[in-house]
Amino acid sequence: MSLLEVDHLSVEFGAPGAALQAVDDVSFSVAAGEVVGIVGESGSGKSVTALAVLGLVDVPGRVRAERLAFAGRDLRSMPARERRSLLGGEIAMIFQDPMTSLNPSFSVAFQLMETIALHEGGSRQARRARALELLQAVEIPDPQRRLDAFPHQLSGGMSQRVMLAMAIACNPRLLIADEPTTALDVTIQAQMLALLLRLQRERGMALVLITHDLGVVAEVAERILVMYAGQVVETAAVPAVFETPQHPYTEALLASLPERNTGQRRLRSLAGVVPGALDRPAGCLLSPRCPYVEERCRRERPALYELGAGRARCFFPLPTHAEVAAPLPR
Amino acid sequence: MSAVPEPVLEADHLSKHYPVSAGWLKPPATVRALEGVSFRLAAGRTLAVVGESGCGKSTLARQATMLEVPTSGLLRLAGRDVANADAATRKALRRTIQMVFQNPFASLNPRKKIGQTLEEPLAINTALGKGDREARARAMLERVGLRPEHYARYPHMFSGGQRQRIAIARALMLEPKIVVADEPVSALDVSIQAQVLNLLMDLQDETGVAYVFISHNLAVVELIADEVLVMYLGRVMERAPKAALFDGPRHPYTRALLASTPRVGAARGETALAGAARTALAGELPSPLAPPSGCVFRTRCPHAIARCAELVPPPVALGPGHIAACIRLEEIG
Repeated sequence: MSLLEVDHLSVEFGAPGAALQAVDDVSFSVAAGEVVGIVGESGSGKSVTALAVLGLVDVPGRVRAERLAFAGRDLRSMPARERRSLLGGEIAMIFQDPMTSLNPSFSVAFQLMETIALHEGGSRQARRARALELLQAVEIPDPQRRLDAFPHQLSGGMSQRVMLAMAIACNPRLLIADEPTTALDVTIQAQMLALLLRLQRERGMALVLITHDLGVVAEVAERILVMYAGQVVETAAVPAVFETPQHPYTEALLASLPERNTGQRRLRSLAGVVPGALDRPAGCLLSPRCPYVEERCRRERPALYELGAGRARCFFPLPTHAEVAAPLPR
Repeated sequence: MSAVPEPVLEADHLSKHYPVSAGWLKPPATVRALEGVSFRLAAGRTLAVVGESGCGKSTLARQATMLEVPTSGLLRLAGRDVANADAATRKALRRTIQMVFQNPFASLNPRKKIGQTLEEPLAINTALGKGDREARARAMLERVGLRPEHYARYPHMFSGGQRQRIAIARALMLEPKIVVADEPVSALDVSIQAQVLNLLMDLQDETGVAYVFISHNLAVVELIADEVLVMYLGRVMERAPKAALFDGPRHPYTRALLASTPRVGAARGETALAGAARTALAGELPSPLAPPSGCVFRTRCPHAIARCAELVPPPVALGPGHIAACIRLEEIG
């Protein structure tokens, strides 16, 4: 059984009728101990998907799903108190900007001990000892001294380590990391990714890594979901997806990477921009930009079709470009 | 191109030190943001400046664009010594170097129409009439891949990629010899990044403008640069033609940067895990207020020995245009 199951999840913002479809019919699952990458450009719905899973989409956002379950328990029918206690306990999340995610008015020890007090309790000394242990686990230099430091005294990399310490405080079974290294320098990013992977292995946590950086998922994830305009357009195992992408969007993303264009003087780029709330095409959402577009793509919306390796939301998946036979049974 | 083209931008041992308050009643401390940086940039070429936060990339940009006066060293723009030029010459020189900033959401005035933004440099620096200025602005919009009717729109009506095109258009209005681009594509999505990089390269081919391209993204640098300057804590660690740098990086810091960059095509965990043991750097950047003695990189360098703390490593010539500042180049191979 999967640890996290998401079936036909949609999130809308704005007035009914003219709503922005931030997440559109997204289905995926995460097995225990698995590393899944969610990749997409700005506005593709990757962060909103994570927030919807955690129940953090506020009104007026509307979340609909056929199934949203964690460890077999239905998150939608669960009492609000119970769902809240899951967060920071069995499901934890770290965010992109470590400098604004910590409370500037309280010391590192206070913020770590607060999390521990909420979920585990224990005496002050025990919690402080646990906080120190956590800082050691995330490899902060000089952890004893950092306990009483305030966030402004920490560098970006160290703040992100503190965030991570807080996230793993209660031994979560699922860690969602939303762009955890985007704000960091490249050598610090390498340290952080190595640390995330080490903790994931040692603790057997499932890790959902949300990022726009294909290089990061290529090195960290076992399986990826590629999102475009709120939809999952392809899901497949790494590294197969990088060798033989099946959706034209995945192919275009890879082709526009500078490292895939060595020796060439120009990058291959996808013309146009992501459709907004008001100009969503009637057919496939990529159809106005797709180099392989056919008549059918402009008329109908494709579903996620089960292909040999993974799934793709395309009538004419690559590399053969042959029309898919049957729709995916629901 | 001849063997030794005349440089449009030349820096010789350029340094910039900032005084910072060290606390009440204490004498101000000095941050050596830029220390002895030398390079030459010829017309139509691209110099990429690479490094992490605090390495002096943006300080270098502020010196080159004459926004600040260097503490010491020589800066020559279009063959003229900037420090000893009179006010009129300095004003004229400013036209030859323009800048594109990282964040296109912050670098365009939200209350000005695109046309006004593009015409402002012409109004200040030329005697062109209103009609001529407008014609040039509309022509420039087309050149950067926008439509002439965008002339009367406001910045909020554009996406990030389009805004960066506008920022590039603004920088090119005065037909500068040099454009300093400070992380011009790092705020953009990867498919938009490709469009903007292609535009920058097309414009260079058309106009012969030289770029100082500041970036932390080595994949982008490998595409666009002719020459690369690798900096750490205000000092040049390695400077080399692109091919030499990517095929045979010599300085430990350059190697660490290359090894830390995540790439599609590397096997899972190759850089992030196995690579971490192999080359990724331990520790964090030291405080710029108290940089390590001798080689500033030694505190994180896997090859550091006692002698590294004693002397500032002089640049060692390794090939045509290739230098690295390290005393152990021979031993580490």
